[in-house]
Amino acid sequence: MIVCSTCKHANMAGAMFCAECGAQLVGKDSLTTQTINTDNFKKVAKGYSEDDYQPFDGSDAWGSLHLLDTGQVLPLTSRNEFTMGRISEGQPIMPDIDLSPYQAYAAGVSRLHAVIKRDGGRLIFMDLGSANGTYVNGKRLNPNAEQLIHHGDIIALGKMKIQILIKHDK
Amino acid sequence: MALSKPDYYAILGVFRDASLEDIKRAYFDSAQKLHPDKNVAPGETELFLEIQQAYEVLANPKRRSLYNATLPPEIEVNTAVKHEIHFSRPNLVKLGEPQLIYALLEVSSREEKSALPTPPLNICLVLDRSTSMQGEKLDIVKATAIQLLRSLRPEDVLSVVSFSDRAEVIIPASISPDKKKQEGRIQMMQASGATEIFNGLEAGMREVRRTLDPSRVNHIILLTDGKTYGDEQACLQLAEEAAALNIGITGMGIGNEWNDIFLDALASRTGGSSAYISKPKDIERLLVEKFKALINIYADDVLLELKEQEHVKINYVFRLQPEGGSVEIESHMHLGPILREAPLQVLFEFLVSPEALNGDALSLISGSLKTSITARPMPVPPIRLNLTREIHSNPSAEPPPTQILSALSRLTLYRMQERARTAADAGQYDAAARHLHNLATHLLSQGEHSLAKTALFEADNLERMHAWSASGHKDIKYQTRALLLSGVKEKAR
Repeated sequence: MIVCSTCKHANMAGAMFCAECGAQLVGKDSLTTQTINTDNFKKVAKGYSEDDYQPFDGSDAWGSLHLLDTGQVLPLTSRNEFTMGRISEGQPIMPDIDLSPYQAYAAGVSRLHAVIKRDGGRLIFMDLGSANGTYVNGKRLNPNAEQLIHHGDIIALGKMKIQILIKHDK
Repeated sequence: MALSKPDYYAILGVFRDASLEDIKRAYFDSAQKLHPDKNVAPGETELFLEIQQAYEVLANPKRRSLYNATLPPEIEVNTAVKHEIHFSRPNLVKLGEPQLIYALLEVSSREEKSALPTPPLNICLVLDRSTSMQGEKLDIVKATAIQLLRSLRPEDVLSVVSFSDRAEVIIPASISPDKKKQEGRIQMMQASGATEIFNGLEAGMREVRRTLDPSRVNHIILLTDGKTYGDEQACLQLAEEAAALNIGITGMGIGNEWNDIFLDALASRTGGSSAYISKPKDIERLLVEKFKALINIYADDVLLELKEQEHVKINYVFRLQPEGGSVEIESHMHLGPILREAPLQVLFEFLVSPEALNGDALSLISGSLKTSITARPMPVPPIRLNLTREIHSNPSAEPPPTQILSALSRLTLYRMQERARTAADAGQYDAAARHLHNLATHLLSQGEHSLAKTALFEADNLERMHAWSASGHKDIKYQTRALLLSGVKEKAR
C-alpha cells in the first residue's frame, strides 16, 4: 500500500500515480517540470564577446538568456515580455520562463521573480518583489521599479547569474 | 535447403508447435486471400501454391515430423514487425496484498518506409443525414466528401452511404468511377428522419465487402450527430464481424448529442477509436487527417490472443498511439493499427493477487501477437508474447522507466476525467467535482490553461446544477485524450 503524500489516499502497491488526486507516487526525481521549448537549446562555451553573438540559425529569437552556471541558453522568442521564476508543485503560478530545471530553488529564485520585456529598441527589467533580490551587474534593484538593461549585462536572480544576449537590429 | 527461403511454418504464419487446428485455420485464411480465382497481384498464384505445399506437409503428422527433422533449430525472427516491452518495475514483490504493475508494449514496422508501396484504400463513408444534420453540418460534410472523392488515387475505392431511419447507397463501391456523376449524387443528399446507426453501418459493410481485399486498407468511417436507440447491440455485433474481416471502423461524432461511449465501444472492437468534432468547421480537417492516417497504415490491426492467467487481472488496456483510446479487454484484443511512421503503443495495467506470488516468477500475459502487413499478401508469423516478471522479496530501488512514467502521467489525467464521469453518472456530484478540481490542478501545472478552465467550469456546474454543460464532458474527454498523443509526439521530436 502506498499512501499519497498529497491527499492521504491509500493506493495499491505498485501504483505510480495516486488514483484520487493524480499526484505522482514514485520516481519523482526522474521527471522534471519543463515548460520551455527545448528545441533551441544549445550548449555554448562560457562568455560571449560583444559582437560575436548570433542568434541560432533559423530561429526568430530576439535575444536569449545565457545561464552562466550551467552554460545553457534559453531563447527569447515569439513575444516581447517574459516573467521568470520557478514552478513549484501544487502552486498554480506559471512563470513564462521556468528556471526550476536549473537548480533555481537552490539559487534562491522566487516563484515569480522578475520580468524582462522588450519595448521597441529598449530592454526593460524589473524585480517582482522577490525574496532574495534581483541584481544587474552586481547592483541590487528596488522591487517593482523598471530598469534599463543592455546586451551583455549580467543579471542575477538570487544567486543565479544570467547574461543577457540581444540580437542587434540592423 | 537455402537459408533465405522461409520454412513451411513461416509460410503459413504459425508457430512450430502449432496444433493441427491452428495449421488448418491459417491455411484456410491465406487460401481465401490468395486463391487463383480471387487474387489480383502478380506472384500471388505462386504464393498460393507454396502455401498449399506447406499445408500438405504440415497437415500430415508423419510428413510433418520428417520435415521437422530437416529444419535448423528455431530462431524466432519476425522480419516484418518488431516489438519492445517496458515494465514499470523490474520485478514483483512478495506481498500479502494485491499489487499493480504496468507494461508498455510497442510494436513497430521493421521495414524502411520507402520500401513499401502505400496500400490502396477501400473506404466507405457512412454519413448521418438525419434532420439534425440540416444546414451547415450537412453542407460541410457534402463538400468534404466531394473533396475526398477528388483526391483519390486511381486505385482507391470510396463508397458513400447515407442513413437516417433507413440507409441509401449514394456511391456504390467500384473501381472505375464516373466522378462527375458521383459528385452530383453527393450534392443531392437531403436531411430528414431520425438516426438509426445500424442501418447505415450495415449498408456500409455491404459496400466495403464488395471490394474487400486484404491488400487494401478496408475501413468504414461513420459520421453522426445523434444517438441511436435500441440497435446498439446489433451495431456492436456488426463491428465484431467487421473486425473478423479486417475491416476497421472509426466513429466521428459531431456536436453534443451523440453517444461517445457507444461510438468508442463500436470502434474499439476493430482496434479503432472515436473522434469528437466540436464545431462543424472541424469536420473537413478531421476527415482529411483520418484519410492521411489510413494511407499510412502498415498493418491494419494487431490482434493479441491470450490465455487467462490465474490471479492476474488485466485492469486496464489503453492504446496511446496512433489513436488514443481504451482497448476492450477480451481474450482476443484488437490493439490497433501500426502506421509506417508511428509504432503502436499500448499500456497495460495488471492487478496481481498475493496468491500468484508462490513461485520465482510470474507470467502476466502469455499469448501471441498476430498481424498482417496490408501492402503484402504474405502471412506474417505470429509473435509470442510472454510478459514475465521475477518475484523478489524486496522492492527494487530502480526508478521506473521514463517512457512509462510520462505515458502514465498523461493517462492519469484521462482516467481522472473518466472517474469524474463515473461519479457523476452515479449521482455523486461532489466526488465528481473533486476529481475535476484535481484534474484542473494538474492541467494548470502542465500549462493547459484553457482545458483547466473548462474542467473548473464543469466542476462548478456539477456542484451547483448537478449536470454537465452541453459539451462539457466531451470537451474534457477528447482533449485529455489528445494530450496523450501530444506527449508521444513531443518525445519523438
